[in-house]
Amino acid sequence: MSDKETTHFGYKEVDKDAKAGMVGEVFHSVAARYDLMNDLMSGGIHRIWKRFTIELSGVRKNNAVLDIAGGTGDLAARFAELVGPQGRVVLADINDSMLKVGRDKLLDQGRLANIEFVQADAQYLPFPDDSFDCVTIAFGLRNVTDITLALRSILRVLKPGGRLLVLEFSKPKNELLSKAYDTYSFRVLPLMGRLVANDSESYQYLAESIRKHPDQNTLKDMMEDAGFCEVEYHNMTGGIVALHRGVKA
Amino acid sequence: MSGAIDPTLHTAALAAVEAAINRALALSPHSNAELAKLEDCVFALHCTAPAISFYLHPGAQGMRLTGFHHGAVTTSIRGKATDFTELASAKDPTATLINGGLELEGDSAPLIELQHILAGLDMDWEAPLVNSLGDVAGHQLAEVLRSTFAWGKQATSSLTRQLDEFIHEEARLSPPRLEVEDFYRDVQDIGMRVDRLQSRTERLRQRLQKLRD
Repeated sequence: MSDKETTHFGYKEVDKDAKAGMVGEVFHSVAARYDLMNDLMSGGIHRIWKRFTIELSGVRKNNAVLDIAGGTGDLAARFAELVGPQGRVVLADINDSMLKVGRDKLLDQGRLANIEFVQADAQYLPFPDDSFDCVTIAFGLRNVTDITLALRSILRVLKPGGRLLVLEFSKPKNELLSKAYDTYSFRVLPLMGRLVANDSESYQYLAESIRKHPDQNTLKDMMEDAGFCEVEYHNMTGGIVALHRGVKA
Repeated sequence: MSGAIDPTLHTAALAAVEAAINRALALSPHSNAELAKLEDCVFALHCTAPAISFYLHPGAQGMRLTGFHHGAVTTSIRGKATDFTELASAKDPTATLINGGLELEGDSAPLIELQHILAGLDMDWEAPLVNSLGDVAGHQLAEVLRSTFAWGKQATSSLTRQLDEFIHEEARLSPPRLEVEDFYRDVQDIGMRVDRLQSRTERLRQRLQKLRD
């Protein structure tokens, strides 16, 4: 048996060092149709979840905001409006394909004055200590190899009093909803992926990775263990998605 | 925000209302410039029936509605939906705030200014109609709409005035406002006189008592 540490990649156990590359392949594959697939898969509700995240972020004029796993820049675009010309928004993503799609989209919208684009791993953020008033990570934490390491890295770059918001799929609160959601995730999503993006495997991974992600209370405990205080979460759409919020003391 | 509502529904409802308000503001020239004066103000609206709370953030880009706000609030108002409707449509918002059922905390002046801006929206339908129907048809339809709205406004105002006159003067179903105010003033005056008379009689009674002793 190998001495190497393992982690999960969907339902598969893989070497810890290999996960980032495998997740990278998934996102290289879906980057071009990411927005379209998000709208199709969630029926557009992902925009409401993100809007709620922005409301809870408390971001205001002149703030510095880091959007990790920012993908195609939905949150970064709104944050750029809220912080104004004197503020700073950093859109970071480990995947260069996603970052390129996000950068092109925001540049096409004319948003460039206060947005920076950085290719970065959430576990080893390349920013000085106490740099940001708010850090968000939307639908990205479950793809990180070591969630604890990422949470500690985020805590380091947050200013005291700064907020972390984690928007992520979670565990539905209702059994009936949970069953319907399972059927949708494992039957409809891969089919949709094959028809629209010609890639069912990536969407199979999406469904599996959601099931392997820590539930609401486990993630809350992990955030507290990493050093965040005032940690709370809000279930959305019956707990299919949860928004966790923690503050750096 | 109300804890009973799933944040998804609450946020979706706010997004829909925000979109409708901003669409109306976009049709009203100058309204965004007027709202820009209230850029740093945050208004908290707590509706008790139905139970829902949200925050209004006016700005140069229009109006933003949120379910959460961390930080200071300029004005906070609490009341029933009917009280908010009354305030929104009031000709004299100050009187409504004083006499109505709303509880207010904070600065009322920016709230009154916001009410004036929203109540005074003067929507220009011509631009969107011209964009979708073309110059000639769009302009003609906008003219028809404008004259219809103007006629509607005039007719409503005239009907209200005539109804008012009929109720007060012809049918005498209810006394006119000024008469009621005069009557209340007289009642108050009589009340004060009676109080004075009572004090005088009491004084006289005490004097008589002393003389008897």
